[in-house]
Amino acid sequence: MTDRSEEHGGRPALGAGGGSGARFTRRTWLMGAAAAAATATGPFVWTRRAGAAGKVVIRTIGGAYEEANVKAIFEPFAKATGIEVVKVPASLGKLLAMFEAGNIELDVVDAGELGLLSLNQKGALEKINYKAWKLTNPEDMDHRRDTMVADIYFSTVLAYNTEVFPTGKHPKSWAEFWDAKKFPGPRMLTDLAAGAIDVEFALLADGVPKDKLYPIDLDRAFKSLDRVRPSIRKFWDTGALSAQMLADKEVVLGSIWNGRLQAIADKGAPLAIEWNEAALQVQFWGIMKGAKNGDNAQRFIDFACQPQIQAAHAGFIPYGPTNRQAFKHIKADVAARLPSSPEHKPKAFLHNAQWWADNRSTVSERWSQWLLQKG
Amino acid sequence: MSPAPVAAPDAVATVDASLAPERRDAVRYLLILLPAVLVLLALFVYPLLGIVERSAYTPKTGYTLEYYGQIWRVPVYLQVIGRTFRTSALVTLMCLALGYPLAYLLATLRPRVARLLMIVVVLPFFTSIIVRTYAWMVLLGRNGVVNQYLTRLGLTDTPLPLLYNQGGVLIGMTYVLLPYMVLTVYSVMRGIEPGLIRAAHSLGASRWQAFRRVFLPLSLPGIAGGTLLVFILSLGFFITPALMGGPSDVMIAMLIEREVEFTLNWSFASALAVILLVLTLIGFVGYNRIVRLERVFEARD
Repeated sequence: MTDRSEEHGGRPALGAGGGSGARFTRRTWLMGAAAAAATATGPFVWTRRAGAAGKVVIRTIGGAYEEANVKAIFEPFAKATGIEVVKVPASLGKLLAMFEAGNIELDVVDAGELGLLSLNQKGALEKINYKAWKLTNPEDMDHRRDTMVADIYFSTVLAYNTEVFPTGKHPKSWAEFWDAKKFPGPRMLTDLAAGAIDVEFALLADGVPKDKLYPIDLDRAFKSLDRVRPSIRKFWDTGALSAQMLADKEVVLGSIWNGRLQAIADKGAPLAIEWNEAALQVQFWGIMKGAKNGDNAQRFIDFACQPQIQAAHAGFIPYGPTNRQAFKHIKADVAARLPSSPEHKPKAFLHNAQWWADNRSTVSERWSQWLLQKG
Repeated sequence: MSPAPVAAPDAVATVDASLAPERRDAVRYLLILLPAVLVLLALFVYPLLGIVERSAYTPKTGYTLEYYGQIWRVPVYLQVIGRTFRTSALVTLMCLALGYPLAYLLATLRPRVARLLMIVVVLPFFTSIIVRTYAWMVLLGRNGVVNQYLTRLGLTDTPLPLLYNQGGVLIGMTYVLLPYMVLTVYSVMRGIEPGLIRAAHSLGASRWQAFRRVFLPLSLPGIAGGTLLVFILSLGFFITPALMGGPSDVMIAMLIEREVEFTLNWSFASALAVILLVLTLIGFVGYNRIVRLERVFEARD
């Protein structure tokens, strides 16, 4: 799974009881046999009723995020409509291959903005029929576009070990994160395999204001990364690894998806989030063009975007709602953990997925060069 | 008058008589092989040709060598391929150094004990590679089991960097690939006639001489097969280096995956894959000249 949000589901580190499934699916495109096996066992039907209402096949990510989806959206949807929900894991590469081959095995895609932008660029997404919405008012939705509608907000945040840096004496900005003299200790940042690298944080650390980040000045960003590299122990490539490294105290500071961090912090790890200068990102629903259950897919998205449904979802996993009416239904203690809460949202900057979609080849090449030349 | 014309018909007749059943055998073998060949053609050769085509063709520009040009122009790709080959060679050597003695032990033990140990060797295959890699990370981490013991024993003050560097990659990959080496070498060692060693001893050879002059040469096909297998498997590795390596431990498979899943430049990914395949084949042919692989795979009578 490629773009950073697709695997960001907040699944705890392996040691904390999580599986390795998502990571495995992400990697298996190379291993034909394993991939075939995963496909064969993949579709997991959780409702037993396969009534006349038919089904809808949804691309899922696994982990705590998928569990939250099942409880807050899939189960209520099946109950309300009689439509069977089938879950299938698939990477972005696999979705595109399906589209190229004209063999669309699934209907609804739940993926990060960059992932859906890519599918959209290739013409693989169906238009969302907002006019037919009966349950949700489309006007309430943030980031509503022709072929994709936002489903959650999540953030890449600065996380710190509270035993090493008690809250209050911890780095409160990326500039302080970069300062290894004042805040000594091993750190981690994101690898491109996780979907994006932290060039925005590098610019913030170098003094670029939040509203002047895009278009990214890559020369300046890499120069800034040069300065922090000696204290970087590892660039993490999956959510599971990032959580593991913080939990095992391999690093005492790091960038990480807020859901992942919350999951291990809730289990008792001495870790906390600094919300200042977080990279706020959006995850989207989309429908594959040529989907076999297109009508059910449209109904599903209408259902999933309801404020009450989104509010319930936020209770299962700390990702923010995209329906502006949803916060009304969210308790204060739940809201305080969300990246899009009124308190956290102004501190963050919005990750510009369009810039990433336009520049990924350049970034990819520069990143490889930068990794090698210093090694 | 030479005797040749007289002898010739005779000889021909003999050859014909002996060839006939062999030809029948050949047909039979072909029939047996046919399903495997068809499966390989349909599921391996055909998609591979698709990759080759994709590497030199885009719907927009038609046939092009642009992607190969990019690999040549931007040094990073050949550098990564170089690193991949170097890492693979190191892993192969480590597997051989550890695997050969282990296979020797297995081959000389009583069959029952050997079978038991063999289960231990094969057991890791029953677990997912990711679980095993994470297990190593628990062992080798800064606050991992190994470093805790070393510190407690007073052998080191500061934790040793065992993970997130090339050492970590070598440990992880050697561990994953060791069984392939052991199994290949062991299968050849099992076929070595113990009488030959006894004969060497009876002719006055010391244990070392018997090993070096008789056993080792006879086990060479196993070494050849094992090293080749491990080396080629290493070239395509990427879960272990991605998890256990440091920032600059980039293997070519990691770049190919990124082109497929992130940049979505499948033509370029294909070109990288084709280059890797061609270099591997060149290596294979060169290797074959030195060690004559057909001897490894030939049936023993």
